Amino acid sequence: MADVKSLEHPTLKVPYEILNKKFRTAQKTLDREVSHVQAAATELEKTLSDGEVKAKDITMLLGGMVEKLQVLKRKAEESISEELQASSVCKRRIEHLKEHATTGTGLASQGALNQWRRKRLDRMVVEYFLRNGYYNAAITLAEKSDIKEYTNIDIFLASREVEKSLANRETSKCLIWCHDNKSKLRKLKSNMEFKLRIQEFVELIRNDRRMDAIKHSRKHFPSFKDEHLNTIQQAMALLAFPVTTVIERYRTLFDETRWDTLIEEFRAENYRLFQLASQSVFTVALQAGLSALKTPQCYNEEADKSACCPVCQDCLNQLAAPLPFAHCSQSRLYCHITGLPLNENNQPLMLPNGHIYGEQALEQMARENNGCVICPKTKEVFPFKKVEKVFVM
Amino acid sequence: MEGCLAVEKEVDRVFSKFGGINDHAQRVLTELTTQIEALKDELAKAPDNHVLTNVQVDLLKNVLTKSKDTVSRLATDHRDLHSTVSKVGKAIDRNFVSDFAATTRDHVFSSPKNIKLINKVICQHYFRQGMHEVAEAVANDGSISPEVVTREPFTELNHILDCLKNNDLEPALAWATVHHDELEEHNSSLEFMLHRLRFIEIIRKGSDHQNEAICYARNHFGKFVHRHQKDVQILMGMFLYIPNGINCSPYSSVLEREMWIEIYEMFCKDACSILGVSVNSPLTTCINSGCTAIPALLNIKQVMMQRQVTGIWNGKDELPIEIDLGNDSRYHSMFACPILRQQSTPNNPPMRLICGHVISRDALNKLCNGNKMKCPYCPIEQTPGDARLIFF
Repeated sequence: MADVKSLEHPTLKVPYEILNKKFRTAQKTLDREVSHVQAAATELEKTLSDGEVKAKDITMLLGGMVEKLQVLKRKAEESISEELQASSVCKRRIEHLKEHATTGTGLASQGALNQWRRKRLDRMVVEYFLRNGYYNAAITLAEKSDIKEYTNIDIFLASREVEKSLANRETSKCLIWCHDNKSKLRKLKSNMEFKLRIQEFVELIRNDRRMDAIKHSRKHFPSFKDEHLNTIQQAMALLAFPVTTVIERYRTLFDETRWDTLIEEFRAENYRLFQLASQSVFTVALQAGLSALKTPQCYNEEADKSACCPVCQDCLNQLAAPLPFAHCSQSRLYCHITGLPLNENNQPLMLPNGHIYGEQALEQMARENNGCVICPKTKEVFPFKKVEKVFVM
Repeated sequence: MEGCLAVEKEVDRVFSKFGGINDHAQRVLTELTTQIEALKDELAKAPDNHVLTNVQVDLLKNVLTKSKDTVSRLATDHRDLHSTVSKVGKAIDRNFVSDFAATTRDHVFSSPKNIKLINKVICQHYFRQGMHEVAEAVANDGSISPEVVTREPFTELNHILDCLKNNDLEPALAWATVHHDELEEHNSSLEFMLHRLRFIEIIRKGSDHQNEAICYARNHFGKFVHRHQKDVQILMGMFLYIPNGINCSPYSSVLEREMWIEIYEMFCKDACSILGVSVNSPLTTCINSGCTAIPALLNIKQVMMQRQVTGIWNGKDELPIEIDLGNDSRYHSMFACPILRQQSTPNNPPMRLICGHVISRDALNKLCNGNKMKCPYCPIEQTPGDARLIFF
């Protein structure tokens, strides 16, 4: 259960953040509709206090009031059902996580656990794909493995739209995104909007619309003056230079790669918004797993590699190269021939050439070969009685 | 588990509260609307130039104040639910670890070369699992060339496993019959279990198929009776209860659906061991090991932070603690010197003393006293030169 606690935070936190956002939108909608109803009511009250009120006028105003109330009713129902839907996503994910803790120890519950783990791997891979922008692969996998509701494909697809528009040198979608998440972004002290505004300003100058640039700066920059005065000054100075300037400070602002940086920054901000960590669970787990499995033998040219050991496989071997080795304070020895552990039931024996094998394997080999044993590594042949005991503490 | 339950409790609370407020809002708003509409209709009946009486004005004013109150209370009620919502978030933060990445080195895998390697590993994994569409999509999106590594055993195994998932025993039975001798040699009861399941499926069909079941038992159970006598007896006992339904008999447990998961796992394990391939793909093994290792690593990291010894974390090229991955995930012999408590390396290999005890070369050098040393485990004195280099 410890692994669920350590690794599944984003699985639950993302739908929670969505629920939270839905709540805030719902509150806004309700407040707005309520104020409409109240305004209508106040108007009616005023008309009533004027004295000498005609029934006809009042019926009309009452009709308007009824309409407003019905709108409120409809909006309330819609908003609340969205909130309920967001919570049911959360609920379904909890149900899925709970399946992990199946009771019992039999083969069936082991099987259920293995299946759950297979799904977990698929979930992790989907997230990894999404973070790397492999949307097709992510969608295919999620559908094949039937885990769509446990993954955050939706928010990544939404962010893909923004990324695409940024790649096309457009800021409008990203600005809408900034506006939608305004309060949250302010809390995170994000300066995404400021960066976009600066970029717009730079683009205006690049297109030689310097007057428009000044108008743009008057409209948008003052609200950022407290935090970013320096950058604003630097940007304003661009007005004085040609687009082809060689002065480093200003050349960097004209650099086209700034758009790519903007995309990167937008991604990072979006992760923070949904409380996603900067690394995917997949890479974190892969790193820890490779470390836990990595032994010096996996990198020893002479020792033959194990066909089943993941770290001995070519690609993973390269990936694991910069990672720490597993820690080992207690010897764990296996017979190279049978793969069985070496212990009091299968004592380790040494051939005269220094290689160690298990008692069972060597005895059997001696029986089949007239008392001779062959070292499988060096192909040397020894009489069995030359074999010596080894004691490993 | 407690974590999940705690969060679930909060989510349930959100459900009941929002459901409640929804019902409430619909009810009071409907009431208000009907009330106002009734008033409107009444006024509409009046002649065109009718001037409202004082009573009517008062009545209207009352209704208006009431509706104002009601709608504003509605908005306030909804706002008060914020604490319920945020409690979910707090429960998640309290019960789950948010900075799970704390134990890893940042961005080791973010270079283009490594991303390519990872994509390759993932691609191979999905080819092995038989999910070719996914593998091809990865190759496409990740711009690597798809090496179709459809090694024969996996294509066949994946097909059989897919059928088993859909409760189709045929291909598995055919496979088990072909590999009958090897299965016997490995002491595997897979074939019997498959026949057993098949038999139970016939029994499940009810009394009309009794004869079929008897024929099946006669044809297939004979060769297993030496190892599975008891099981066969149980299966035959089921015939007693067919007319009244097995579900309310002592044999009801035999019918459980879990058997399909069980047989799936059993087939995976036994078939892989016979074919000499690992049950899990390398990627699966890595990720499962990682999921075991991370909680332990997070714990030790926290302890190290408290003792302010985090410096060790990055300096060493070894994990700070041993991760117990179980016996299935060990592939190499590991020798740890019992004196120095260190894993042996090419520079510090294991040495066998003449008495048979094994220590590392560094330990041996440290124990030397001039040209003599005493084995740390037995009273034998020897010269260090007599120790022999050994290979596990």
